[in-house]
Amino acid sequence: MIKVLFFARLQEELGKDNMELDTAGWTIDELKNWLEAEYNLDGVTQTMTAVNEEFTDGSHILASGDTVAFIPPVSGG
Amino acid sequence: MINHRYSRQIMFQGIGEHGQRLLSEKHVVIVGAGALGSAASETLVRAGVGRITIIDRDYVEHSNLNRQQLYTEKDADMTLPKAQAAKNRLTAINTEVTVEAVIGEADVALLENVLPADLIIDALDNFDTRMLINDFSQRYNIPWIYGACVSSYGLTFTVIPGQSPCLHCLMEDIPLDGETCDTVGIIGPAVQMVSSHQTTEALKILTGQQESLRKTLLSFDIWENETSSIQVEKLKKEDCLSCGEQATYPFLEYANRTKAEVLCGRNAVQVRPASRQFLSLPDLKNRYHQEIQQENDFLLVLDLEDKRFVIFRDGRTIIHGENDKTKARTLYQKYIGG
Repeated sequence: MIKVLFFARLQEELGKDNMELDTAGWTIDELKNWLEAEYNLDGVTQTMTAVNEEFTDGSHILASGDTVAFIPPVSGG
Repeated sequence: MINHRYSRQIMFQGIGEHGQRLLSEKHVVIVGAGALGSAASETLVRAGVGRITIIDRDYVEHSNLNRQQLYTEKDADMTLPKAQAAKNRLTAINTEVTVEAVIGEADVALLENVLPADLIIDALDNFDTRMLINDFSQRYNIPWIYGACVSSYGLTFTVIPGQSPCLHCLMEDIPLDGETCDTVGIIGPAVQMVSSHQTTEALKILTGQQESLRKTLLSFDIWENETSSIQVEKLKKEDCLSCGEQATYPFLEYANRTKAEVLCGRNAVQVRPASRQFLSLPDLKNRYHQEIQQENDFLLVLDLEDKRFVIFRDGRTIIHGENDKTKARTLYQKYIGG
């Protein structure tokens, strides 16, 4: 399983802060696109992504046990 | 010694007499005097940094007071520019620190004017200017500390030119409009948390202790009890246009900057004059004396066509009650010039 963490607006849109998904073998971009379509998650494709607390790009392939965090680049100050 | 203003932080092993002396010789530029700018400037002024320049384009409103710690109801009643109100308060806190207030838009010319600087602290509310700061920091080899927060969530990252990745490396696609406090709200502790990280990193940089820097991008949600400290070293890109070997500093180009800008969530547009052809505040006062709602040494508030015009001395105007950039520019040209 893959654990996915959501912050800020994504969390509000989903109504929860994490999810367990069976998406080992997917790329980050595939996961983002699927989340956007499945949950109508506006802007998930514009977030930064960390896997196991390390920044990754969209081509990274997920493995079982990974923790993915989508980090929205907020601008308020 | 015991009663000396800085005795408690000199006692702290990370600073000491030497660190305190270094702080007193440094100049920090704080871009933005909202919540993060208030918090960072107060901490650094109390800590005895030699000189602080605080830049802001806006004025104090009552909706700022839940988190923008430098300001009072009186500042909001008087429609004081934030940079000026900040200077008043910071000078009252510590007269040993030179505090300069700059009321205006942080563009390249204005930033060049406040150099030399040892550090830039990002206390902005938009990516447009933040990316400009990123390129400016690379161009002039000045460290800067990204910080942003909305709701109970915050992010911060320290950029050291030549060492760390820059913000452009981390964000290939620059968000058009990151979430802002005006759209999803914010609580004060989220601000304090980001600012605590920013100012701690600042103290390390200013006292020459770069080996102690965090080196990760920190993200937290103080309400949901989540914190991530994310490794980013691998993201430094040799071909980055902002910090790579062939950097062109794309965000320093004036063409990338808009001249009329919707202020997100505020039902307002800011218009900046394209040329020097605009009426001065005294001229505007004469011409529209019946429409004056408020005035002070720094700005004039007019009520025209049921819209509230807040006009600064540099001609920059925030038009409330208008969300359309084209209409705002037309209103500007009709009444003020440019």
